[in-house]
Amino acid sequence: MNTVIQKEQEYRTKRGKALLGHTVNTSLKYKLWIAFLLLVIFIGGYAYYRQLKFGLVVTAMRDYTSWGIYISNFVFFVAISLVGSLISSILKLNKNDWSRPLTRVSEIIAVAAIICAAVIIIVDMGRPDRFFYVIMHLRIQSPIIWDVIIISTYLVISLLLLYLSLLPDIALCRDRLTAIPKWKKWLYRIMSINWSNHPKQIETHHKITKLLAISVLPVAFAIHTVTSWLFATTWRPGWDSTNLGPYFVSGAFMAGAAVIIVAMYLIRIHLKLKKYITELHFEKMGRLLVLLSLVYLYFNINEYLGPAFKMVGVEGEHITELFTGKYAPMYWFVQLGGLILPIVFLIFKPFRKPLPIFIISIFVVLGAWFKRFLIVIPSLQHPYLPIQDVDESYLHYVPTWEEWAITMSSFAWFLLIITVLIKLFPVIPVLKEKIDSETINKLNVFKNEKS
Amino acid sequence: MENDNSNTDSRRWFLKTISSGGILAATGLALGTFTSCKEKSAEKTTLLTTDGKLVQVPNSEIEAMEHLHQGAPPMEAREGISGKKWVMVVDLSKCKNARKCVDLCDKHHNLTPDRPYIKVYEMKDNEKSSPYWMPKKCFHCDNPPCVKVCPVGATYKRTDGIVLIDNERCIGCRFCMAACPYSARVFNWGDPPEGKLDLPYSPETSLPSKVGTVAKCDFCPDMLRQNKLPHCVPACPNGVIYFGDEIDDTVTNGEETVRLSTLLKDKAGYRYLEELGTKPRVYYLPPVDRLFPFEKNTEENSES
Amino acid sequence: MRNHNYLNIDVLKLLILISLVAFNSSILYGQDEEVMEDAILSISFSEDNDTKIITTKAVDQSGMPIEDLELYYFVKRTFSLLPIGDSFNSTDENGIIKVEFPIDLPGDTIGNVNIVVKLIESDIYNDQTLEITKNWGIPTVIEDQETEKRSLWAAAANAPISLIVIVSSMIIAIWYIIFYIIFKLYKISKIKPLIN
Ligand code: SF4
Ligand code: SF4
Repeated sequence: MNTVIQKEQEYRTKRGKALLGHTVNTSLKYKLWIAFLLLVIFIGGYAYYRQLKFGLVVTAMRDYTSWGIYISNFVFFVAISLVGSLISSILKLNKNDWSRPLTRVSEIIAVAAIICAAVIIIVDMGRPDRFFYVIMHLRIQSPIIWDVIIISTYLVISLLLLYLSLLPDIALCRDRLTAIPKWKKWLYRIMSINWSNHPKQIETHHKITKLLAISVLPVAFAIHTVTSWLFATTWRPGWDSTNLGPYFVSGAFMAGAAVIIVAMYLIRIHLKLKKYITELHFEKMGRLLVLLSLVYLYFNINEYLGPAFKMVGVEGEHITELFTGKYAPMYWFVQLGGLILPIVFLIFKPFRKPLPIFIISIFVVLGAWFKRFLIVIPSLQHPYLPIQDVDESYLHYVPTWEEWAITMSSFAWFLLIITVLIKLFPVIPVLKEKIDSETINKLNVFKNEKS
Repeated sequence: MENDNSNTDSRRWFLKTISSGGILAATGLALGTFTSCKEKSAEKTTLLTTDGKLVQVPNSEIEAMEHLHQGAPPMEAREGISGKKWVMVVDLSKCKNARKCVDLCDKHHNLTPDRPYIKVYEMKDNEKSSPYWMPKKCFHCDNPPCVKVCPVGATYKRTDGIVLIDNERCIGCRFCMAACPYSARVFNWGDPPEGKLDLPYSPETSLPSKVGTVAKCDFCPDMLRQNKLPHCVPACPNGVIYFGDEIDDTVTNGEETVRLSTLLKDKAGYRYLEELGTKPRVYYLPPVDRLFPFEKNTEENSES
Repeated sequence: MRNHNYLNIDVLKLLILISLVAFNSSILYGQDEEVMEDAILSISFSEDNDTKIITTKAVDQSGMPIEDLELYYFVKRTFSLLPIGDSFNSTDENGIIKVEFPIDLPGDTIGNVNIVVKLIESDIYNDQTLEITKNWGIPTVIEDQETEKRSLWAAAANAPISLIVIVSSMIIAIWYIIFYIIFKLYKISKIKPLIN
């Protein structure tokens, strides 16, 4: 094995060197990063072990705040996952060439996020040992079941989407990378399923990529809409709203675009891909983010104006608490720091340079996470009947260290999946998607032969 | 898990066929023999458990044990008592927060006082109107939001109107808690405080409770099966809670028996938050012409 | 007694015994004949278009009507007895009480109700309870309890048809595409490389 690794990797082109280099060379920085992620995951694992042992009592959730940061984190991940494939598919269908380097990143993010969302929902269950009851005793009337169905469908679809666009590149890795361990070679060989750039293969590949890019659209919209129905099908103030579906979806668009910008920036810096992820990309993504934020702002106004104007009963109390009460600091941080200020800044071109937009995007992502917290928790604390007669601990919700540890480890998993996928596969499509003249000739020859 | 279930099921069948005769008789006998020395809780009685072992039980627990044996096993409990539609009426004008219903409910469902099934709320509809006490349990809604959202059918609506929870199926997703507009549900966040009760599980008694599952007022179907009122009804010293069968059109608070339709008509009965369309099976009579002044001191109130 | 104070103790005992027996029997006698007796209640039912009347005639053992006798009327219900009539119902000078039976009271599936007439706490007559089954209730239609209606809150097997159709057609459509793509990928893997 050693002899294999020691062989110096040769690249045919500069492009190949830049794009494949990171899959071959492992830096110390990478190892430290993985170690750090594993440490966080380990701590989260211990917290989860405690939760399994003692029950959900280790969390701060109680009878009134019966859903906590697990669920808000779940909604966050669903939001992130939605935009990955949406962006990649819309950009693909539009034949937007500038965005090609971004599609792979967004697909990888989608896969990682949807896996984390699926896992975090199991963590939230009081009886994870009965997980398969969801299939055995499935009740089609329950929005949770709709969510389970759509999430598993979307998981498969986003894996397929990633895989389809990877396929030619995997074959390329198989053919060109020599200085890699055996298992990696084996992996590339298995995964490239005899891909040989045969014209017929290219043709089929084109066809199914397009088909998938179309069919992922309704599924991606559905995944977050159905998730919003988990809330909208109840009577809770702040959830009992017909606006919730588009509100969630538009929020997801914005958060997802911000996550992609963050990822772009980090990849560009750490993988030294400045040539491929250019300032132009940041510029365009910045514009896109402004557009998506404006849509989200519109739905935000819709979501809060009506109840704030009417101030009906508990709904009014809920709004008051968000605007001026206990949750006001978080609320205004989210709305100003995570929505309005980013829009204002990003309108100006200098802020669409890589570093400023990276920082702004981090605020947007943070805002998006806390926004989900504000959607889930304060609503539960405003039931129709007053909260009386219960233990002191039922009145507030301050997540325990176990909850934070598990949440943090879900982020670590998210980053780990992304890191590993980037390590294994080229993060920017190596092959040009456009069929070059040579291939077209081949294709024609092939067709003539057949007929 | 499945194995486990079928195992307990067969045990339960055993209980039903053989022990409901034999063991109950033994329990009854023990009860009869020891009634004289019931006060001395240190006394113990030897009883036959469901799996045929002899155990020593303090006499103070015998009464509860007797009650616990009556609930139907999970599958059977899904069918309601035929020809009945249970309904409850709570007369707010008579409630003085004596909390006897809460105490007895806690006792029979092995609950700790910090998370009871029944809550007595101090209500005040607006600034000018005077406050009143409002006992609240699960409303056993006819359009139950909690049942609609349950992904596995662990919570279900029976033909007799009762909404029950099967703790052997509940996956603990807590969607039903979010969906219930009346905050009627509690969750077993940790291990049940009473420790392990060596009893066959029945959704009709909600016992023994299981960690990671949801629970709530169950209208005591085990009592109803024996033609007895739910525990909270006779417990109330002021006759606040009426219970009965809607098909019969009759409710009783243990002393007084009245026609449901007449009662609701004459006293302007209403259902809490009717506008939500959940169609509760619990009615309230408005707190007018109070029997008692509103006093907050619960200690004194409960001494009646 | 003073006259007999010379009698020996045995005679005294005997006398006490006799007088006790006499006294007791006089009590018993009085109970049967004068103080407590069984009233004879005969109950008849009559109904008009919109009223149902329970008529009770109370006579004593000698056949004389009893006046001012209080009777209580109930209908048997699940947990208890539901009082009907006025709060106090007592016989008139002819020994007759008429009690109106509520015309809208539900009975069992065929309309039978159990009417209970009670004579209690009377000074003169013994307690008695009469129970009569009468076909006067409104027959209750027990909805088909075995078959649950299709609804959102029904069990899984009874989900609304429209919901099942919509959800499953969406699932089939999307998974059909997924499997089609996977099948195509399989096809791709079977294509042999071109040898130029
Ligand atoms: S009160 Fe709540 S828990 Fe009870 S049936 Fe209605 S919705 Fe369900
Ligand atoms: S917590 Fe249990 S009963 Fe409630 S919805 Fe979930 S599975 Fe059903």
